[in-house]
Amino acid sequence: MLELQNISKKFDGKAVLEGISLEIQKGEIVSILGPSGSGKTTLLNIILGLTAQDEGRIIFEGRDISKVPMKDRGFNIVFQDYALFPNLNAYKNIVYGLKNKPNIISNDELEGIISFLELGPHLNKRINQLSGGQKQRVALARTLATKPGILLLDEPLSALDGVIKETIKNRIKAITREFSLTTIIVTHDPEEALTLSDKILIIENGGISQFGTPNEVIHKPGNSFVEEFIIRQLRVKRDNIYSLFGECYA
Amino acid sequence: MRNMRPEAAVIFAATALFFLYFLFNPLAVLLMNSFNTGFGVGLANYISVLNNSDITLALSNSLGISLASALISTFMAFMLAYSVNCTRIAEPIKSAIRTGVLLPMLLPTITYGFAIIYSFGKQGFITRLLGREIIEIYGFNGLLMGYVIYTLPSAFLLINSAFGYMDKKFIIISKLMGDGFLRSFFNTVIRPLIGAIGGAFVMSFVLSFTDFGIPASVGGSYSVIATYLYQAMLGAIPDFNSGSVIAVLMLIPAAFGVLLLNYLERFNFHYDKLSNTELPGNSFRDIALGSASMLVVLGIMAVFLVMFITPFVKSFPYDMSFTTEFFTATLSSGGILYVFGNSLIVSIFSAVFGTIVAYGAALVNTRTNADKSLRLSTDVFSMITNTVPGMVLGLSYLVFFNGSSLKGTFAIIIICNIIHFFTTPYLMAKNSLSKLNPAWEITGELMGDKWINTIARVIVPNSASTMLDMVSYFFINSMITISAIIFLVTARTAVVTSKIKELQHFANFNEVFVLSILIFFTNISFRIISGYFNKKLSSNQ
Repeated sequence: MLELQNISKKFDGKAVLEGISLEIQKGEIVSILGPSGSGKTTLLNIILGLTAQDEGRIIFEGRDISKVPMKDRGFNIVFQDYALFPNLNAYKNIVYGLKNKPNIISNDELEGIISFLELGPHLNKRINQLSGGQKQRVALARTLATKPGILLLDEPLSALDGVIKETIKNRIKAITREFSLTTIIVTHDPEEALTLSDKILIIENGGISQFGTPNEVIHKPGNSFVEEFIIRQLRVKRDNIYSLFGECYA
Repeated sequence: MRNMRPEAAVIFAATALFFLYFLFNPLAVLLMNSFNTGFGVGLANYISVLNNSDITLALSNSLGISLASALISTFMAFMLAYSVNCTRIAEPIKSAIRTGVLLPMLLPTITYGFAIIYSFGKQGFITRLLGREIIEIYGFNGLLMGYVIYTLPSAFLLINSAFGYMDKKFIIISKLMGDGFLRSFFNTVIRPLIGAIGGAFVMSFVLSFTDFGIPASVGGSYSVIATYLYQAMLGAIPDFNSGSVIAVLMLIPAAFGVLLLNYLERFNFHYDKLSNTELPGNSFRDIALGSASMLVVLGIMAVFLVMFITPFVKSFPYDMSFTTEFFTATLSSGGILYVFGNSLIVSIFSAVFGTIVAYGAALVNTRTNADKSLRLSTDVFSMITNTVPGMVLGLSYLVFFNGSSLKGTFAIIIICNIIHFFTTPYLMAKNSLSKLNPAWEITGELMGDKWINTIARVIVPNSASTMLDMVSYFFINSMITISAIIFLVTARTAVVTSKIKELQHFANFNEVFVLSILIFFTNISFRIISGYFNKKLSSNQ
């Protein structure tokens, strides 16, 4: 279980996050949803340990990790642009961390990750020979190979084409189940957040606007911000798709 | 912000100490020297130097001829770059222009002067081809020609790369809007390039003003500040104090030029998205510009052609029968190979260590969370090294290290080269490193790397081709430089360029050209080899 207690952060005197408190259960997928500049990436970086919070505490599995440096927290992230190393092939990217900690994962487990992500045929390819979806999977494999306590994903779908988005969504869900991994995802797309996660954390102006399941967000929007910026957008999308397919789907 | 990584702190400290000791200290001592009158501190040296009509004449000569050569060089560079970028001249001709104009960069400037003398002098190669002497070559004309050949490549590179950032679609739009030639030309070509054109002018001026090799060879009785400085320090009666004053006087326009260059930066356009556009055809434009550009390039080559002929004929220009006698004699006289070996040692060490220093400084600047002021300081090192002319740097070393154990060593020459040529490789590294993914170090850290491990495993391999360019820049420039090291070489540490200067006294021009040919082919081979590896590197990624 990950618990955030009263997290606040200022940049140059301007409050970016204020009094964020919440609990995330083991194995849950939680999306942090908000418009750009709302502070969602800052929150992700604070959990990762890249950015230090000004106030508040982070408790992970009963241990206060507020002051534990990024390297020792044992979390890992897949960046929006994947940050794969182009001088190494796909396989060498995946096993990059094993040079430093050879015993972290067994050969069987590693092969399990590779076959689960269907990367077998691509292991010897150079990074620039991979498609967007393949890069995404290599980055996921590289991260999973370090056995992170929490998996963080920064806008995991934004760089992908339409069709492949749905595949990757299912894949992320399956990974979480398979490895019973707590997963935190940053996104600005309501549809993505609501269809991918167990819970959604909606952030507005550095504070929590609503934290709940997709069902709660849709049917019991917590305030006018959720109503206007999230529900309305989804309704427009729904109506457009309905009108394409005809009323019988309504 | 988290704390700076210890490895980065070490790199920064080492870089800062290096520049403190080998750049700031010598310059400070030089400055103090210029105020030291022997009876305390004062302006007496300056007053006596500025009252010396020979020096003020040299100063005004230098200013005048540098302005003239900057004007010609900028105009020519623009014409060449325009021909390469804005016409439909055939691609082979364009690439001949691009390559040809850069060839002089592989030769020391002191060779330029001798090539000019042997081409245009009374018995010169081109003079004889034309049947009469077209111009009086010693003095103003020869200097001007040398300076233009010297500064044209740099001016061309600057304007040419600015053309690369220019969106040519605007030329089409302007045409479609019904602009006349002049309005269209001014708005879509001159205006976007004005920063680069101004920059090329200032750079050409500073290069001409501070060059030593050309006036040393073809200056004749036309005195310029560089030759005056040389005579003040290494002439019959060395005068350290007025030498220091002249050096400071040389520094002022150079410093002013660098400030002006930084100011001109802001006039540069940066289009986010560039599109390649077909340009409208115009045969008159293409034929006129193509011929003019080829004339310039062939002209440059013609000047240097003599250098490859003279040493291979029996008695230039009287007996033109072929012989390899001089060439083999020169090579087999131990002294020549010895200085060539020295040049290679100096250039290889300058290239390796120079690249390490510049790359390290750029790493601290771009790939760490170091304090803003720390990062600014490496930029300041680069700006100062860019400002200080080679002669001034060499002179300050002569003064500062006079009594030290570094005097007369290869080390001092190598260090001087590293500082002298620091700016360009540093900017290359900065440019390349800042384009690499900023998340790599974080990713590496999450995978258990120390910062320096990620640098070695990821950052260095992904900037290897830039490092190769940096090595190449240091190597070639160390091979051809004379201005800084002329004050530092001894009989034991003589390099090819200083040997050429020495051979001049004995009017031994065959050997001068043989040495120049050696430099030329060493540099060309180096270019070809590094180009080969660069291609291999980029195809691997």
